[in-house]
Amino acid sequence: MALPQRKTDIGPPHYEQFLPPVIKKNYGKWKYHEVINNGSMVHVAESGDKLWTVRVASPRLLSTATIREHCDIADKYCDGFFRYTTRNNVEFLVSDEKKLEPLKKDLSARGFKMGGIGKCITNVVHTQGWVHCHSACTDASGLVKSMMDELYDYFEKKTLPNKVRLAVACCVNMCGAVHCSDIAVVAVHTQVPNINHENFKNMCELPTVIGSCPTRAISPDPAKKSIKINSEKCMYCGNCFTVCPPISIKNPERDGVAIVVGGKINSLRTNPKFSKLVIPYISNEPPRWPKAVAAIKHIVEVYAANARKHERIGEWIERIGWERFFSLTGIDFTFQSIDDFTFMRDTMRTASTFKW
Amino acid sequence: MEVAELQDKIYAFCLAAKGKKKLKEKDIIKGVSAELSLEPDEVKKAMRAMIDVGRLMYSYGGGASSVEIPSEEYLREKGLIK
Amino acid sequence: MKKYNTPLIDELEKGPWPSFVTEMKKAAKTNEMSNDALGHLEKCYSTKIGYWKHGGIVGVLGYGGGVIGRYSEIGEEFPGVAHFHTVRLNQPSGFFYTSKALREICDIWDKYGSGLTNVHGSTGDLVLLGTKTDALEAIFAEYSSRGWDLGSSGSALRTPSCCVGPGRCEWTNYDTLGLTYALTQEFQDEMHRPTFSYKFKIKSSGCACDCVAALARADMSIIGTWKGDIKIDQAEVKNYAKTMDINKEIVNMCPTQCMDYDGKELKINNKECSRCMHCITRMTKALKPSGERGATICIGSKAPIVVGSLLSWVIIPFIKVEPPYTELKDLIRKIWDWWDENAKPRERIGEVIEMKGMRSFLEAIGVKPMPQQIKEPRKDPFMFYTEDDIAAYKAKEAEEKKTGKYRF
Ligand code: HEM
Ligand code: HEM
Ligand code: HEM
Ligand code: HEM
Ligand code: SF4
Ligand code: SF4
Ligand code: SF4
Ligand code: SF4
Repeated sequence: MALPQRKTDIGPPHYEQFLPPVIKKNYGKWKYHEVINNGSMVHVAESGDKLWTVRVASPRLLSTATIREHCDIADKYCDGFFRYTTRNNVEFLVSDEKKLEPLKKDLSARGFKMGGIGKCITNVVHTQGWVHCHSACTDASGLVKSMMDELYDYFEKKTLPNKVRLAVACCVNMCGAVHCSDIAVVAVHTQVPNINHENFKNMCELPTVIGSCPTRAISPDPAKKSIKINSEKCMYCGNCFTVCPPISIKNPERDGVAIVVGGKINSLRTNPKFSKLVIPYISNEPPRWPKAVAAIKHIVEVYAANARKHERIGEWIERIGWERFFSLTGIDFTFQSIDDFTFMRDTMRTASTFKW
Repeated sequence: MEVAELQDKIYAFCLAAKGKKKLKEKDIIKGVSAELSLEPDEVKKAMRAMIDVGRLMYSYGGGASSVEIPSEEYLREKGLIK
Repeated sequence: MKKYNTPLIDELEKGPWPSFVTEMKKAAKTNEMSNDALGHLEKCYSTKIGYWKHGGIVGVLGYGGGVIGRYSEIGEEFPGVAHFHTVRLNQPSGFFYTSKALREICDIWDKYGSGLTNVHGSTGDLVLLGTKTDALEAIFAEYSSRGWDLGSSGSALRTPSCCVGPGRCEWTNYDTLGLTYALTQEFQDEMHRPTFSYKFKIKSSGCACDCVAALARADMSIIGTWKGDIKIDQAEVKNYAKTMDINKEIVNMCPTQCMDYDGKELKINNKECSRCMHCITRMTKALKPSGERGATICIGSKAPIVVGSLLSWVIIPFIKVEPPYTELKDLIRKIWDWWDENAKPRERIGEVIEMKGMRSFLEAIGVKPMPQQIKEPRKDPFMFYTEDDIAAYKAKEAEEKKTGKYRF
């Protein structure tokens, strides 16, 4: 069977052909929007045209069968037009209010979950984990599923003082955007890597491996034509493993997850913030990670009970102070939360003003 | 210089580095253009043409891309040799 | 097809949240690769360890990216995932689709791959998850002949992405979809043929809400902003007053304290507003930016590897973003030239700027120092002076002697 002629460097198709007519007509001329409930909102254009959006959760890992089901729904209610979001949700768009309720009914009947709009918890930005990455210390999809089952009410109906953005990264490469999330899980190694000296010779470039180490823990081992790792300096980032496969760092009993909180990416009220480490280690507990999930839920609940309206988790903590955050949540403060990497000078306190 | 001749030089340059150093596009362009006193763009064009037909290939390892001489396996897979 | 017993991951089919395991099983019904992927994943869950090897060297002829090689260490046990490469398809701006287009994508993928996808991957690409090396050329021919190109990977410009912007958002300050499409087309070569020292990402958000997290995960973050006043519809303010404590929720939360509300009229001292978007997002019917629109260009964000994460730094506080985007395209080229000259392998631009100094970078791209670029001026006195700097300070003083007026 002959293949069609390939083309190179054509780039993606032009987005305009995928815009529903109501968007083409009102492109860039939207006036305001209103959140109707966690699952839907309406945008109103200067022309008076209205566009309803129904947001539906997805596990991000989708089979073609489910994508086709999205297509069927779009055909039935949205003239075939729909979109996905940065945070892995599906959005069905209708310009005729009469179609809104039937659409929602059909979605529920098919078992799709609507929510995630406004001051609540939406889908989780995450990475590949055991499903597809060599570097993973844990599985991202499984953690996300376990977290969201537990936090489901905050997706579907409950609201919070403000949005809570969650993320999971399955190793410290953090492909999945952990560093600025309200609450995120980062999977970590906790042991110095082992080196297969025999394979090192054939598979790795010495200068590259030495250069890969952020803490300069790696030095040449000329006798073995390999390297050695200074265990006092290594903080288990796995970067050397990334550039040199014979260095192995995975360890099922020692790999685990850490929890970081208080990041934010928008500039509303306060500047964007990094997430900060509050729980340094929880054992990897597939398939449900019960302790990690309980910790996240606990932090969400303490935030919900204590924050002021519009405060994101990071803003709330800045107002009440970190010692108060630790006392309110009952989380133990440990050495791991004191920066001994690049940011110590910026993160130590330099005033005698505390809460007890 | 004829393109074919230049491409042979580029090939030789890559061959010399094989197994010793992972070459980036930039290394080849800089190295060969200095060696032969040619415009970098000319070298780039000739090299790209080689990549397009599988005489050289892009490779990837440890987070960074490089250019190297294809393995037989690669050529077979692309149907360039039997 | 072999039937795997998967008690551990079956647990992840319970509960209200949509299950990725269910998705894998759906695909596994008709697809041997997905079926083995299920067995493979169950094994990871039981041993608590991953079995994927480092990415191998796979791709389509002529391109240096768009396919991520993935092989399993235990391919003999699970032959369907012995090769399980990812194909990145470049998504349309704003993630808009028609059912027709997506069905076609699915049909091709079912024919050549695992039937599993990520919609979308974190880079923004539509990720087709799991195929074999010998299917890659056919996949590329099928997709590209129908108008779909590969996205990017490796030391290249990564697939640009953007927020929904003018498609459905009243707050956008420029056409994020149009810009992203234009840049993607302009830089096809830089995307598909890795020539950089490391990856380079461009992400575009229409306003400071930054819905694509450009500031945190793009080497070049383009964030919409404006220069004019916030227009106020006082009638709508009155409506909001019925459901909201405007003083508590808006005026007192304004970071610049430039608002005032006496229970009747809302006032904004626009000169002092820093355009944080708080008030606008809470009272979208009443408040609207006006005047000159454009974007702030920030550079350098990256994840923690190797020396700690960075958020992008403001380089150009305000730039017009209008087709054909010539100024931006030229700027991007200048940025790449400087990066290319100065980077060691695997150095992101933010790291190179730290090594070489912001001044070297700003001078190379022709940008003046401005107080909008910093949080605060430096604290140490260890600054460099060039001969030209001193000559300029001296010249200024000579000028002052003539005019009798100090200019600091
Ligand atoms: C300090 C570091 C980082 C922070 C604070 C950060 C923050 C974020 C945030 C908040 C999001 C969510 C955006 C959304 O609402 O969809 C995100 C998404 C993402 N981040 Fe990061 N991130 C960081 C580093 C990284 C790194 C190092 C990578 C990759 C190497 C990365 C890759 C991604 C990807 C792929 C997404 C998903 C984007 C999408 O779904 O389109 N991030 N990041
Ligand atoms: C040494 C550093 C890094 C290594 C070795 C690395 C490696 C990888 C690998 C192997 C994948 C593919 C996973 C798969 O599908 O098999 C991946 C995906 C990705 N990486 Fe990285 N990465 C690194 C740093 C980063 C950083 C700093 C960012 C962003 C700032 C980033 C963003 C991403 C994104 C967005 C994806 C797609 C993830 C997804 O869609 O699930 N990576 N990375
Ligand atoms: C390489 C860096 C520095 C050098 C070489 C240096 C050198 C000096 C010298 C020679 C003196 C005069 C001492 C005397 O004769 O009484 C002095 C005074 C002083 N320096 Fe520094 N200094 C340095 C950095 C700093 C820094 C970073 C600070 C503060 C943060 C500082 C604060 C002072 C103070 C407060 C005095 C006393 C001034 C006075 O009241 O007489 N110095 N320094
Ligand atoms: C290299 C760094 C520094 C040098 C060389 C230096 C030198 C000096 C000298 C020479 C004096 C005068 C002592 C006297 O009265 O005879 C002094 C005083 C003082 N320095 Fe430093 N100093 C340095 C850094 C600092 C720093 C970093 C701080 C605070 C953060 C500091 C705070 C003070 C204070 C508070 C005094 C007393 C000032 C006063 O008389 O009221 N110094 N320093
Ligand atoms: S975060 Fe780490 S394990 Fe997860 S996809 Fe990225 S590189 Fe792989
Ligand atoms: S794991 Fe990280 S810190 Fe440890 S030796 Fe390797 S590169 Fe260095
Ligand atoms: S970043 Fe701003 S303009 Fe873009 S979708 Fe979000 S709120 Fe709208
Ligand atoms: S945009 Fe921000 S700074 Fe400006 S008036 Fe509104 S709340 Fe205040």
